[in-house]
Amino acid sequence: MRAKILIVYLKEIKEILRDRRTLVFMVIMPTVLVPLLMNLLISFMIKSEKKAETEVLAFAVFGADNLPKLSEEFAKNENFRQVDVSSLDEAALSIKDNIIKFALVIPVQAQERLENSEQIAIELYYDNSSAVSRVRNRVSDIIQQVSDKFRAERLASLGINSSEKQENLISPVIIKEHGTANMREILGEHAGGFLPYMFIIFCMMGAMYPAIDLGAGEKERGTLETLLLAPIKRSQIVLGKFLVVFTAGVTSALLSLAGIGVLLAVKVKQIPAEVEIGQILSSIDLADLLLIASMLIPTAAMFAALLLSVSIYARSFKEASSYCGPLNFLAIVPAVIAVLPVVKLDWYWAMVPITNISLAIKELIKGTMNYEMFIAILGSSFIIAAGLLFFSTKWFERESVLFRQ
Amino acid sequence: MLEVEEISKSFRERGKKGRGLIGLLQGFRGGREFFAVNNVSFCAKSGEILGLLGPNGAGKTTLLRMLSTALKPGRGTAKFMGVDLIENPLEVRKRIGFLSDSTGLYGRLTAREMITYYGKLHGMEREKLRQRMDELFNVLEMTEFVDKRNDSLSSGMKQKVSIARTLIHSPDIIMFDEPTTGLDVAAAEAILNFIESCKNQGKTVIFCTHHMHEVERLCDNVVILNKGNLCFQGSIEQMRAKSGQKLLDKAFLALIGLGDSKNAG
Repeated sequence: MRAKILIVYLKEIKEILRDRRTLVFMVIMPTVLVPLLMNLLISFMIKSEKKAETEVLAFAVFGADNLPKLSEEFAKNENFRQVDVSSLDEAALSIKDNIIKFALVIPVQAQERLENSEQIAIELYYDNSSAVSRVRNRVSDIIQQVSDKFRAERLASLGINSSEKQENLISPVIIKEHGTANMREILGEHAGGFLPYMFIIFCMMGAMYPAIDLGAGEKERGTLETLLLAPIKRSQIVLGKFLVVFTAGVTSALLSLAGIGVLLAVKVKQIPAEVEIGQILSSIDLADLLLIASMLIPTAAMFAALLLSVSIYARSFKEASSYCGPLNFLAIVPAVIAVLPVVKLDWYWAMVPITNISLAIKELIKGTMNYEMFIAILGSSFIIAAGLLFFSTKWFERESVLFRQ
Repeated sequence: MLEVEEISKSFRERGKKGRGLIGLLQGFRGGREFFAVNNVSFCAKSGEILGLLGPNGAGKTTLLRMLSTALKPGRGTAKFMGVDLIENPLEVRKRIGFLSDSTGLYGRLTAREMITYYGKLHGMEREKLRQRMDELFNVLEMTEFVDKRNDSLSSGMKQKVSIARTLIHSPDIIMFDEPTTGLDVAAAEAILNFIESCKNQGKTVIFCTHHMHEVERLCDNVVILNKGNLCFQGSIEQMRAKSGQKLLDKAFLALIGLGDSKNAG
C-alpha cells in the first residue's frame, strides 16, 4: 500500500517541479518576490518617515509681530522656511496645493498677554489627512519651547528659580515605569503576529496551485481516468496526491520564513540595536523552533485536504481556480484575527481553528506558551486535518464527483 | 474472455432548474432516475474483436467505464478471464487495457517516465518492466522520442505513447473507445493495424466506434446499444440480415430505429 502511495507521490512531485507556475508560487514568490516587496515597503516607510522628520517645512504666519519670540525660534531652525501669504484663505489653498505645509495665526497682543500671565491660543492650520505627516508634532515642539520659556519666567518671578523646583511644582506626582515583559516578549507581541500570518498564507498559497493541478488539472487533461484504471486503490491515489500538496504548502511556508529571515538579518545589521535583537533572536531555541514547525504540519495538512477536495470536485482548472480563490479567506480571516492586539490566547480562542495556531506560534515566539494549551491546539488541529483528509478520500470515491457532468 | 451479465447503471437526471436558491436546492435534490445502461449482457471471446456501437447518448461510454472499473455497476456484473468486476476490481484492472481518443498523457513527463509510472503501478519488477518497455518502444517505433516530454510530441507520437501505456502490463482484454477520432489517415491506419495485431495475439478486444468501415474491417461480432438497452448482438452478416440492408451504415440506422428496415424491429 505504502509503495503505491510513494509511486504516486514521487511522480507528482517530479511533475510539479517541472511546472513553472508551481515553482513561481512555491519557490519564487516566498523566497524572492515577498522579501523583495517587503524590502521595498520597509525602505519606503523608512524613507517617508525620514522625509517627514527632516524636510524643510514652508509656512505662513499671521500676526508674527504679536509674538516675536516665536518667530525667532522658527527662524533659528533651518528646517522651517517662512513664506509670505496675503490671506488666511490663500494659506488654506496653499496648504491644499502643498505649497506650504502649515499656517499659524497668533492673536493680537500675544506677547503682552503672556507677560501678564495670561494664556493665549495660537491657531495651527495644516493638512491633517496625511498619515505620515509630522507637521503637528514638529510645530508643537517649537511652540512648546516658547511656552516653556514663558512658564520658566513666570515661576522665576514667583521666586522659584531652579529648574528642579519648577519641575516639582508642575508635576508633583510622576510615574516611574517598570515593564515586567522581557525584550523577547515585547518583540513577540509586536512581530509575533506577523510571522504566523505569513506561515498560514504561504501554507495556503503554496498548496493551491499543485492542488488544482493534481485534481481538476488531471481531470481536464484526461489523465485521471487512465489513472483510475491502474490497479491502485482510490484512497492510495488521494493519499499520494495529498502528500504532494502538503509538501508544497510546507515548503512554501518554510521558504517564506527563510526569505524573511534573510531579509531581517540584512536589515538588522543596518540598525544600531543589532546586538540586542540578535540576543533576542538567539533566545528562541531549537525546541521552540521545532514546536513552531510542528504547528505547520496540521495547518498544511488541513489546507491540502481542503484544496484537494475542492479541486477534485471541479471539472476544469478554471473552475477549480474560481472555487479556490474564496477559500483564501478561510486562511486570511482567522490569521488576521490573531494579529489583532485585543485577541490573546485563551481556552476560547484555542478552540478556533487556524486562529489558535496563529496565536500559539505567537506565544512560542514570545516564550510564554501554556503547554497544556499547546497540546490541545496541536491535537485538535491534527484531528481536524485527519477529518478533512478522511472526507477527501471519501469524496474521491464518489462517482458523481469524479465524473461530474 | 469477457462475460457481461445483466449489467445496469442508473443516474439521477437533472431536470429544468429554477433560478437562484430554488435552482440550487433542486440541483442538490437530484431528479428522476434514468438508466444509462439497462440490463445488458454479452460475451467476447479471446482472439475476438467485438464492436460496441450506438448513437451518441446510447450508453457506450458508461458501459466502457463500468467494464474498466471506473464506474461501479448498479446491477449485474462482468467477468474478465473469470475474475469478477464487483468482487475484485483491482485484479480486473491488471487484466485490462483501455485506450480512448483522448491520449491522457502527462505533458511534463517524458514517454519513458510515464510508461515506467504505469508499469510500477501495475506492480511490474524493474527488469521485467525495462524489457517490456524496450519491446514496446521497438514495436511502436518510439525509440527516437521516448525521452522527450509528452507535451512536445505530435498527435501520432502521443497516440503511440498512449498505446504503450495501455499495453505495458500485457493485458488480456483491451478496450478501445473511439481511438481514431481526430487522427489523420496514417495515424488512424496505424491504430487499426494495432487492433488487428491484438486480435492475432489472442487478446479480447472491445472496439467502440462510429465508423462503420472500421467495424466492417475489424469486428467479428457487434453489440449495438440504444438508449441504454441492447438492441442487437451478433455478427456483421447477422446485422445485415436482420436489418435487410447491405450497407452497414444503413443497417446500423435501421437497427436503432432511424432508417428503413425490412426485417428490423
